[in-house]
Amino acid sequence: MGDQLSRFQHLGQLMQTNGLDMISSLLILIVGLILTKWVVKKIRILLNRFIKNTTTVSVAANSTGVVLLGLVITASAMGVGVTPGPLVTLMMIVVLIAVGVILVFRPLIPTLPFKVGDYVKVGTLLGKVEATTVLNTRLRTFDGKTFFVPNRQILDDIVINYHYTKTRRVKIDVTLRYDQDLIKAKRVLEAVMIEDARVLPKPNPQVYVLELGSNGVRLGGRCCVNNLKFWVTKCDLLEKTKVRFDRENIEFAHHQLDINYKRIQKETAEDMIEPMPGE
Amino acid sequence: MKLAEGMELIARDWIVKPQGFRVKFQQMINGELVTGYSPSLEENWLDSDVTTWRYAWKLAMASASDDNRPVEGSLVNITVVDDKDRSVNYYVTGRPQVFNAFCAKSF
Repeated sequence: MGDQLSRFQHLGQLMQTNGLDMISSLLILIVGLILTKWVVKKIRILLNRFIKNTTTVSVAANSTGVVLLGLVITASAMGVGVTPGPLVTLMMIVVLIAVGVILVFRPLIPTLPFKVGDYVKVGTLLGKVEATTVLNTRLRTFDGKTFFVPNRQILDDIVINYHYTKTRRVKIDVTLRYDQDLIKAKRVLEAVMIEDARVLPKPNPQVYVLELGSNGVRLGGRCCVNNLKFWVTKCDLLEKTKVRFDRENIEFAHHQLDINYKRIQKETAEDMIEPMPGE
Repeated sequence: MKLAEGMELIARDWIVKPQGFRVKFQQMINGELVTGYSPSLEENWLDSDVTTWRYAWKLAMASASDDNRPVEGSLVNITVVDDKDRSVNYYVTGRPQVFNAFCAKSF
């Protein structure tokens, strides 16, 4: 009891002698943190105007934030009489230890296989990553819904990141009637792909006969486009294929069912019926 | 001829890929037809000819008049051009197409 009383008395004396300094130091810390956050936000907005790479912007903004945070802590500590020399040394040690720990344990730390702005497919969700936090990822699907997906679910699931590769293959599959000119159809489909400005020249667009099916010949056009232009290019190519085939009088096959029936002569049919035993 | 040379020949003489597309039109300003582009020359091209033709058609619909004569500010002779200002064939017909055609010889 006496020990606690002496502690409170010591604290009271400390507040009397250094109370003002401590309050001013606390104020410097709070205002400094708010200002740091504001400055980092403004820097991020400014850099986004000039630099398109979001990773570079994040690294630059976060590095500035770390430096400013160090300055704020130093200024705050100096307010209560701590000399900057040992404080900077201490901060350097802490930073170096943190960097070392991250470098050593980096392969063991689970990281999300995408970054903000990427188009991804997580499970059945297809959309754009709007934000990531420690707990969840905010995903906006193309129909405008916003999903908050838990990160542990993402780490356990199969993720397709459409930004990982720059190009993507477009498949244009059509089925022709058997009486159509196959070679002409192949040429037309290849020309549709080759002539489109967004289809990459390498690898060359190709047309294959995929199947001699029950209702027609299935042709497969294959070409590569920029990943970010995939969807629109595919839709445009399908539209162009349809109108070009119409123009060239090449007809698509429809699902059909051929019914063959035999007309059997009455006498023959009666002959085919075997008499029952005893008749 | 090596395969690579053959592919180069095809790429040079057949596969002419435009960098992009713009809608080219003439607008009646102060009684004169002034040629303009959309997106403007300062803006980026549209990379889809399908989209550009659709855009051209919408511009034509917005500028269409009953008597087929341009009024002040209206757009006529609307077509699609590539990055070298060459007329692009309409992908549906395979031939050049001009919407709201008014005076083709001055275009």
